Amino acid sequence: MKALVTGAAKGLGRALTEELLQRGYEVIAADVETERLEDLGIAHGGACSIRFADMSNTSSVLRLLDSVDGVKFDLVVLNAGVSATGKFEEIPTFAYDKLIDINLRAPIVLASSLVRLQAMAKGGKIVFVSSLSHAMGYPGASVYSASKDGLAQYAKSVRKPFKKAGVRVLTVFPGPMVTEQAEKHAPPGSSAEKRMAPEKMARIILAASRRRSRELYPGYRAYAAMLLGKTFPTLATRLMRKGIFDKLDGPVY
Amino acid sequence: MGRNQRRSHNILITGATDGIGLLLAKAYAARGHQILATGRRSVADDEAFFGTPSITYVTADQSDPEHAAQTITSTLSELGWKELDLVVLNGAVGWVGPPEEESTGKISEQIDINFKAPVHFALALSPLLFQAKGRLVFIGSSAITKGRGGFATYCATKAALDGLVRSLAEEWRGRASVSILHPGPTRTEMLRKAGVDPGWKRLLFTAPKRVVKAIQVSIRRGEQRRILSRFFCFRCRFTWFQEGRL
Repeated sequence: MKALVTGAAKGLGRALTEELLQRGYEVIAADVETERLEDLGIAHGGACSIRFADMSNTSSVLRLLDSVDGVKFDLVVLNAGVSATGKFEEIPTFAYDKLIDINLRAPIVLASSLVRLQAMAKGGKIVFVSSLSHAMGYPGASVYSASKDGLAQYAKSVRKPFKKAGVRVLTVFPGPMVTEQAEKHAPPGSSAEKRMAPEKMARIILAASRRRSRELYPGYRAYAAMLLGKTFPTLATRLMRKGIFDKLDGPVY
Repeated sequence: MGRNQRRSHNILITGATDGIGLLLAKAYAARGHQILATGRRSVADDEAFFGTPSITYVTADQSDPEHAAQTITSTLSELGWKELDLVVLNGAVGWVGPPEEESTGKISEQIDINFKAPVHFALALSPLLFQAKGRLVFIGSSAITKGRGGFATYCATKAALDGLVRSLAEEWRGRASVSILHPGPTRTEMLRKAGVDPGWKRLLFTAPKRVVKAIQVSIRRGEQRRILSRFFCFRCRFTWFQEGRL
């Protein structure tokens, strides 16, 4: 069994890579911070191969595809993502450009190329990592949540055409996690207690990737938030504003 | 300013050389507003092209969002506009075909033009919008209501705009209003530019004139989000008696 994980150096990507390695997958772990993956490479020998890939750069993404030429993946997790929080107008345009490239363009390019190059095994699965903000809205990270909405819509659109090519698609909408990134972007003084550990998230995602699920809101909190967001969209976004936007200190990108 | 009193507003419309943008610009110009229209094409004589002196045109190619935003802001300062009452971000391109055949270039192009450029514009124009407590309107697509295998990236960019509006409207509440209108299939040149001929199905599409009317009605009513279904566009034929502000 072969898997590709993008954004594998830390957070959810790291947890997914470790979990997959433990389950006996051969994992290709791609990230910009390859040095943080070296210990996994040493611990698991040939099972974990590390690739440098800068998701904000199309040619780097295409090089990654070239380097995995001939491999048939059973599982691809397009997990790499960044955020930018703060008032919309206080964040510079270059941060938005980078965010859109990493969160939206890279996964679309990767998914469409993998299917075109027939790099997916029969019945293989592509997992798009969106965000719970898809259901709730996210004032204070409007472009981030927009990019994740775009990704969710892309996944929904390609489900049927990819299925014809023998590839299945799963979209995951994870809520807040105990990761470096969440720490960086959460409003000051917020508690980490209610956030999910990335290891637990990784297990839930992998379990769902074996089922025929199309969409996954991992954990009962995320599920409840989704129900709230779908039934009372305006209220949900307003709550997000109260809980996050009004407490933000300054722009973080 | 009374509700029924007309005054000349400053309006910016992107993608105004064709289709919905062009008709919208003309419709607002006919109501006596000042328009700055942008597009990719270069237009030799503004007045001859639009048929009215109240539309100024500037070429701003959205495939380079940074440069396009700069061009627009510098033109606005040349015009001496200190505030913007209405901004309609309408310019977009599409690509039709199976998602696995979509080239990297086409994916980037659509993301740049349909999503990055509106973000850049919103950012650059926000001070002028706040000044007038203006209205920022994105034009989406009713394609986002379900999965569309035939134009996945286009659909993704439009869904991204939809998400942006949801969060940004809440962020800017009280300072400027943000909304998105999702027209359905319209009898414009968009599909032909994307390299597809819809054939006889084109007859089922809504007439651009009617869509523009529906957009105007939605803007006047201040709706935050509306899928402009065929029925809604039809209903807008009967709203001529509403004399609103815009």
